[in-house]
Amino acid sequence: MNSLGLALAIIGAACAALFAGIGSAKGVGLVGEAAAGVVSVDPNKFSKVLILQLLPGTQGLYGLLTAILLLTRIGVIGGSAQALTTAQGLMYLGACLPIAIVGLFSGIAQGKAAAAGVGIVAKKPDHSGKGIIMAAMVETYAILALLISILLIYNIQIG
Amino acid sequence: MSSTEYASAVAAVKAMESSLLTHSDIEQLINAGSASDFSALISSKAGEEQTLAQIWDMLSEFAPGCRELEILLYRNDFHNFKAALKALLSNRDASQYYIEPTNLDLSILTEVISSKSYDDLPEYMRDTAAEAYELLTETLDGQLSDTLIDAAALRAMQNAAEKTGSSFMVRYAQLTTVCADIKTAYRCSLMGKSRSFLETAVCGSSELDKESLVRAAQSGTDALFTFLDSTAYGDLGTLLKESPAQFEKRCDDMIMEHAESARLQAFGFEPLAAYFIAKEAEIKNIRILTVCREYGADRETITERMRKLYV
Repeated sequence: MNSLGLALAIIGAACAALFAGIGSAKGVGLVGEAAAGVVSVDPNKFSKVLILQLLPGTQGLYGLLTAILLLTRIGVIGGSAQALTTAQGLMYLGACLPIAIVGLFSGIAQGKAAAAGVGIVAKKPDHSGKGIIMAAMVETYAILALLISILLIYNIQIG
Repeated sequence: MSSTEYASAVAAVKAMESSLLTHSDIEQLINAGSASDFSALISSKAGEEQTLAQIWDMLSEFAPGCRELEILLYRNDFHNFKAALKALLSNRDASQYYIEPTNLDLSILTEVISSKSYDDLPEYMRDTAAEAYELLTETLDGQLSDTLIDAAALRAMQNAAEKTGSSFMVRYAQLTTVCADIKTAYRCSLMGKSRSFLETAVCGSSELDKESLVRAAQSGTDALFTFLDSTAYGDLGTLLKESPAQFEKRCDDMIMEHAESARLQAFGFEPLAAYFIAKEAEIKNIRILTVCREYGADRETITERMRKLYV
């Protein structure tokens, strides 16, 4: 068994969970700050700002999903790790990069958009839906990256 | 500076902006019948009355140690120094002349001045403090030392704003200086003050050159207005000629128009500064309304004097 190939694939899975997770943590944290500011003045707006705070959290989930799918595919989850060539390992690592990188940046960008949306909830609560839609637009690119990562993981031939 | 700084503070301020007085609120206040109707409307529209000092305390909690915000209080700081200095020399209690909010520790201000321990003052005041004390004790010319301190306050604002690198504060300091300089130059011109007095009193800025302004003011009010016409502030000269009250209003409105540029920002200290400026204007509007009503001013006069609103 080529352990380098497997190691590269595992690094890929780790990157997917790690970077997308960091993006989400930063995004959710930023919106949380803004949300706390509004709630400190008007606690009744908690439920509306909570939706905005949740939005940048999805990138972390996409990273987690990608990592689990890859680890299942190469048999690490299930206890029967497959033999991978170095090239295969590199391909799996490459497959994880879209969600890892896009997850990191889109999580932060969505956090900024959602934090700005908190301002809409603060000033014009009736228009909070618009803030949610604008922040949700950023999600598109995380979903596209997730899609490519999954397609790659399932289309790399093993053995 | 991080581009997402003060996210929490800005969001809180945006929530508070919704309780600022609107145009229709002002209309209702102007049209209020009796004095009791007026008071009832004020408390229902503006809520529990908050002083600027309270607003400042709140903003300081949101953004502790924010250098840019401190610049907003520089003029108050210098005013308080002026008050303490005069009170000390005339053996009076200075506390009744102090204005808040301020960056200074008012409880020790008189002591600092009497012991000349200027190092206990903020850095931007130290040199001016020593200079003004000397000038006042030597010449006993209160007006001259006042003008020295007022011009120093404007200069300190400009320097501090440049140092922070914030274009918002640089513009704020410029506009404040321009308005103050025009007013000072006009008054000095009317009173026929000497060139050296004008040089002490006028601060100057990149918007209005000190030397040209002093020269124009020395040549008389007409020369001053002609000079202002050749700058971007010709309208201020025209207003000053026609009505000092309208000039004051235009100055406040210019600052407010500048503050409005921060209204759309989701992060940074600018919306906090803008909220403070908005509250200042609101308090001024309520004061003007109250005084005008007391003196039985007509509706048109009151409307004319209302400052531009932030919302």
